[in-house]
Amino acid sequence: MDDTDPDEALLARVAEGDAAAVRALVGRKLPRLMSLGQRMLGDAAEAEDVAQEAFLRVWKQAPRWRPGRAKFDTWLHRVALNLCYDRLRRRREIVTDQPPEQADPGPAPDRGLEARDTSVRVSRALGALPDRQREAIVLCHYQELGNIEAAAVMGVSVEALESLLGRGRRALRAALADLVER
Amino acid sequence: MGRGELAMTRERFESLAEAYGGDVSRWPAETREAAALLMAAEPDFTGAALGRAEVLDAALDAWRPAHAGSALLERILAAAPQARSRRWIDWLSPAALGAGLAAACVAGVVVGVEFSQQSSAAREVAVSNTLTAISSSLDLEEGA
Repeated sequence: MDDTDPDEALLARVAEGDAAAVRALVGRKLPRLMSLGQRMLGDAAEAEDVAQEAFLRVWKQAPRWRPGRAKFDTWLHRVALNLCYDRLRRRREIVTDQPPEQADPGPAPDRGLEARDTSVRVSRALGALPDRQREAIVLCHYQELGNIEAAAVMGVSVEALESLLGRGRRALRAALADLVER
Repeated sequence: MGRGELAMTRERFESLAEAYGGDVSRWPAETREAAALLMAAEPDFTGAALGRAEVLDAALDAWRPAHAGSALLERILAAAPQARSRRWIDWLSPAALGAGLAAACVAGVVVGVEFSQQSSAAREVAVSNTLTAISSSLDLEEGA
């Protein structure tokens, strides 16, 4: 495994107030943060808030970043996930026992609507998973982190990560049975 | 599991496909070699397991997140480190220090001339004004 951090040099320039480096880092990380936030929270506006807050932490951390201790992307995922969990906790305090809305199971009249319907159903099925199973799938499938890195972000062993992934994907397969069974 | 899997059972192959999906290149590095051997030995079984996982992968990929709005981008960039901390460093550079010393000398000459030409009461006012001007000038540099 390559141990060099591809973000380290950029981060050093960000710390010096290099405007081009700032833009490059935002271009590199903002789509990943938006993806992470939306898949964890199921809400684009909340994902934007998480992304903005995560970047505030990045700007604060950049001058103090110590190379070699942790990969920046791993640290950033941990920060963003903590922000997501703060929001999920607040939601649980507000919402008590309302079941999630169900997607319309009726057939879609054209392919565009069908694709949108699949997208909505997947987002709801993912949203219905236990948080840790959803986190494992988001990190490994959507964020494309390796198993060691994802396990490090989650603070679990690789074996525990694999178990969370397996259980999560089996639950998704059951929830989306009509889409995925052949 | 961390040292590489030399032989892989069908059950292990299925559980890896269930966990990491139908693309073996995204499985843990230490499992890929043994997986490739099993795929060569049992193409029907392994192909079916990967196929089932791929269908779920494709369904997951149907969910595409929204892109960040331009307003968000502007807010993030507006909060990014600017040249503020560097200006302090620039201000301390030899050239800036030289300019600062020159300004202080000019101020000293102005005070000296005014001292020599004005009454004591007027001198106090002139000193006060000059110090205020220097102080304001430094404040401006610090705040820049």
